Amino acid sequence: MTEKQYDVVVVGSGIAGAVLAKVLTQAGKEVLMLEAGLTAGMALKPEEDYENYQSYLQRFYETTIKATNTPYPEIKDAPSISVLEIQPQTPYETGYMVQLGPLPFGSDCLRAPGGTTLHWLGNVPRMLPNDFQMKTLYDQGVDWPICYDDLMRYYEMAENEIGVAGDVDSQQGPDMSRSNYGPDYVFPMDKIPQSYQDQVWIKSTNGLDVSLYGKTYTVNCISMPQGRNSTPNNDYRYADTVWDPASQSLNLITTDKNYEVVGATWNSYTGERCEGNASCVPICPVQAKYNALKTLKKADESKLDIITKAVASRVLIEPGGTDVAGIMYKAYTDPDSIEYTPHIAKGKIYVLACSAIENAKLLLASNVANSSDQVGRNLMDHLVLLTWGLLPEKGYPYRGPGCTTYIPTFRDGEFRKDFAAWISPIDNWGWSWPTFAPGSDVTNAVINNAMFGKDLRSHLNADVPRQTLLHFECEQAPCADNRITISEKYKDHLDNYRPVIEYDASDYMRKSFKAAKHVSDQIFAANNIEDHTIYSPTEADYVTWDGQGYTFRGAGHIVGTHRMGSSASESVVDKNQRTWDHQNLYLVGCGNMPTLGTSNPTLTMTAMTYQAAESILKQLESNN
Amino acid sequence: MNAIIQQRQGRKRHKRKTHDKCYKKCGTISSVKDLRRHLQTAIEIEHATLPPYLTALYSIKEGTNAFSYQTIQSVAMEEMLHMILACNILNAIGGHPAINKKRFVPSYPGYLPHSNNSFIVGLGKFSPEAIDTFLEIELPAQAGAPAQPDHWDTIGQFYEAIEYALCHFDLVTEGGIFTGDKSYQLDENDYYGGGGKLFKVYNLPRAIVAIQEILSQGEGMSDSIFDSDEMFGEEIDIAHYYKFNEIKEGRRYTLNGTPEKPPCGEKVDVDYDEVYNMAPNPSIKNYPEGSPLWQQTNEFNKTYMALLDSIHDAVNGNPDELKRAVPLMFDIKYKAIALMKTPYKDGMTAGPSFEFVK
Repeated sequence: MTEKQYDVVVVGSGIAGAVLAKVLTQAGKEVLMLEAGLTAGMALKPEEDYENYQSYLQRFYETTIKATNTPYPEIKDAPSISVLEIQPQTPYETGYMVQLGPLPFGSDCLRAPGGTTLHWLGNVPRMLPNDFQMKTLYDQGVDWPICYDDLMRYYEMAENEIGVAGDVDSQQGPDMSRSNYGPDYVFPMDKIPQSYQDQVWIKSTNGLDVSLYGKTYTVNCISMPQGRNSTPNNDYRYADTVWDPASQSLNLITTDKNYEVVGATWNSYTGERCEGNASCVPICPVQAKYNALKTLKKADESKLDIITKAVASRVLIEPGGTDVAGIMYKAYTDPDSIEYTPHIAKGKIYVLACSAIENAKLLLASNVANSSDQVGRNLMDHLVLLTWGLLPEKGYPYRGPGCTTYIPTFRDGEFRKDFAAWISPIDNWGWSWPTFAPGSDVTNAVINNAMFGKDLRSHLNADVPRQTLLHFECEQAPCADNRITISEKYKDHLDNYRPVIEYDASDYMRKSFKAAKHVSDQIFAANNIEDHTIYSPTEADYVTWDGQGYTFRGAGHIVGTHRMGSSASESVVDKNQRTWDHQNLYLVGCGNMPTLGTSNPTLTMTAMTYQAAESILKQLESNN
Repeated sequence: MNAIIQQRQGRKRHKRKTHDKCYKKCGTISSVKDLRRHLQTAIEIEHATLPPYLTALYSIKEGTNAFSYQTIQSVAMEEMLHMILACNILNAIGGHPAINKKRFVPSYPGYLPHSNNSFIVGLGKFSPEAIDTFLEIELPAQAGAPAQPDHWDTIGQFYEAIEYALCHFDLVTEGGIFTGDKSYQLDENDYYGGGGKLFKVYNLPRAIVAIQEILSQGEGMSDSIFDSDEMFGEEIDIAHYYKFNEIKEGRRYTLNGTPEKPPCGEKVDVDYDEVYNMAPNPSIKNYPEGSPLWQQTNEFNKTYMALLDSIHDAVNGNPDELKRAVPLMFDIKYKAIALMKTPYKDGMTAGPSFEFVK
C-alpha cells in the first residue's frame, strides 16, 4: 500500500507513539504511524469522534461486570488482554495471554487508538532519585544507565503534555522534596481538590506513628499529582516542547499566557475541568482525564500518515546487515476475519511503541534486538495488596476521581534491601475493586437477605458510604524468569503470536505484603476502621508468606520486557532507547524501564519518550 | 488575545469620535446610571435565553440527536459566557449585577426583556417550533440597522446602543467610566466549559472586544456565517443563528457557506421523535400544592434559585462562588430530566419550569 519512505515509522498510537508523532512532525519530519485498532477510535473529525466515544460510554454503561477494557471494542485481529480472563490455576490458555504460571499475570493494556491512556487512572507521581540506583543503594535489581537528574527536564515536558494538576510543595516524603522539582517549579494546573473521604482519613492518619520491625515511621498524606484537568496555575509559564535545530535539543518554551487546558478531543469546551464522574477507570465521560489522542491531535497533520487496522507482525532486517529495512504489517478489513493483506512500511528510523507486551512479542517474532537474550524478560508490575474496611462515619466514596491523596511514607528507605517499597494511594471508590461494590451489596442484600424497599435502601445507605479501601502498590523487582515468550502453538486470528507468560512473585514482594498489612492494621486501628479484608486461597494470585496468605492484584503497570542498560550484553536498548543491535531501531514505552520504583509508570515513560524523540531527531539530522 | 485587543484598541481609538456621533443620534441612554440599567437588561436577555435552550436540550433522549444536542449545548454554553461577560462590563463601570431578584427571572411564555415584543419565547421540548423560536432569538441584524437601546429588533442592535454609550460616557467623563473594583471581574480561571475564554474587562477596548465576542458568536459577523472565534485562537465555528439553521435544514454549512444560501453540506440526522414529550411551558401552578409533581417542581425551582444565588455572589465580589455553582448546574440537568420522565397529562410529561421561589 505505502511505498513512501518516511523519516520515521512509529508502531502504536498510545502515549509514547502520540508524543513521537507530535514532536517529530512539528520538527518537520515525515511520520507514518501504524495502529492495530479500529479507524473509528482515531477520531480525527469532531462529530465522528463524539459518536465513537459515546459508543464507548454506551458499552461501559450497558455491561454488567465493568473491567478496564469493557468500554472498548474487542477485536479478534488485534486482541487485548481482559483481566476478567484471569484464573487462579495455571497453566491455562483460554484468554489472549497464555499463562504458564506459576502465578497468573493479572494486568492488562489496551490495543486501540490512544492506547491504555483511554482507561488509565491518570496518577502521575514522579519516580524518586533513589529508584534509579537500586543495585548501588539496596543491592536489588539493577541501576538505570541514567539518573533522576538526567530525566528531570523530560519530566517537565511530560508534565506539560499530559497537563498535570498537582501541588509541588506538598510532594514531601522519603527521598522526596521540593528539590526533586527545582526551586520555582509548579505543575501546569492546581491540584484536584482532595475528596471528602480523604479529609476523613487525613484526620487520624497524617502524622501517625507506625512501627515496623522495630522502626518507627511517621505516616503522611499528600495530594496526588494527576493527568486530569483543573484550574490553570497562574505561575506556570511553559507553553510547549519544541525542537531547536541550533542546539539540537528539545526545549520547553515559555509564554506569558496561562496554561491552555485541553478539553475533549471532539469539543475543547467539554472536560475543561474534572467533573468528579468517578468512572476515570475505565472511561472519563467528558475527557477531563488526559488521553493520548489529545496529543496526537496536536501533531502536524500534513506530515503525519496514520494507518489503522494495521497489525505490525515482523521487523525486517536488511539482508546481510543489521539495519531495519521495514516493518511488515497485516492490514485487515473486517476486525474478526482471518483475512488480511501484508504490507511493508518503510522509513529511515523505526520505533516500536506498542506496549511492553506487544513490543516484546514483535521483537521475539522477528528475532531482532535480542543479542542480550533480555527481550521479554524482567516483566514487572506493581503487586497491589488491598485492605478494606468500614469507616466509623460515612466517608462518601465515589465523590471525585479514583485517588486524590496518597501515603508516600514507604516509597523509600533502608528496608528496600529486605523487602519491596510501596506507594499507598487512598482510594476513593469504596470496595468496588475487591468486592465489585456497590453492585454486589445490592445482590447480597436482595438474594441472601431477601431485603427490598425501604429496608434495602436504608441498609445500602448505612453501609456503602462507609466502605473504604487502602492500597499498597509494591514494587516488583526484576527477575529474568518473569517473562514473555512466543510459541508456534499459540497464535491469534491473524496468525500473529499470542503472549506466553511465565510469572511469579518472589520473597522480596511477599515480605512486603506482610509489612504492608502490618502497617495497614495500625492505620485502620487509628481510624477505627472495621477491617473486612479477606484473602482467599481460591483467588488468583493468592500467595503465602510466613504462615499468612495474601492476595495481590495487577496494577496495569506492565513494565520491563526490553530494558534499558549500560551494556549490550545485559540490556536491549541503550540510554537513548535505541536498540544495541540495530542503529535505526528504537523502542519506547514502559518496556524500557530497568526497575519500576513506586510510581505509576506512565509519567516516567512519557519523559523517557521525549528523550528518545530528541535522540531520534539528532540522528535524523546528523544523517542529512 | 492581547494582540487582538491592542489591534482593536488602535482601530477603536480612531473610531471613538465617530462612535460618539452615533451615540448622539440614537442617544436615549442618558447617563452612566442609565447605561448600567441597560447592561443589567443585557444580562437579563442573555439569561432569558437559557431556560428555553436548556429545556429543549434536556428533552432530547440520551444517545439520540447527537448533532442537535451538541449544537444546542454549545449555544447554551456560549450564552452563559455572554451573561458573565455582560456582568464583567457592568462591574467594570461600577454597577452591580442583580441576578437573584424576582424581576430577574423571566416568565414563560413571554417576550425577551425590553425587546420589540415581536415574538414569544416559551419553554418547550426539542421540536421544529422550538428551533424556529431560537432562530428568532438569534436573528442577525440587517447591515446598517440602527442601534436600539429599547424595543430592540435584534440583540445586536441593542448591544450596539450600549457600545456607543460606553464610548460616549468614557469620553465625556472625567477619568473615564471604567472605575469598577477589579476584584469583581471573573476570568478564565473562574469560568470554563463554554464558548470561549472569559476575560476581565477594565477599560473601553476590552469592553468593546467583549461586546464583539457576544455579538459575533450570536449572530455572526455582519456578512458571514462564521463567528470570530478564530481571532480568539479557537477553532472555526459558525454563529448561533446558522447553527440552529443547520438543525432546521438538517444539513451542515460548508466552509464556503454564506448567510444568503441555505446550508448545502452533509446531511445531519434530526429526529424530533426521540424526545421526551414535555407539555409546553410547565408551571408549578399547574399542580395541586403538595402533590408529588408540585414537590418535584418546587425542588427544581429551589435548585435553580440556589444557582442564581451562587452566580449573583460570584459576580458581586466573590468569584470563587462560581465553582460552587458547578454541582448545581448538574443538579439542574438531573432534575429537569427527571421531570421530563414524569407523566403529567394527555400523554405528555412534566418539565422544568424555571420559576422564582423564595
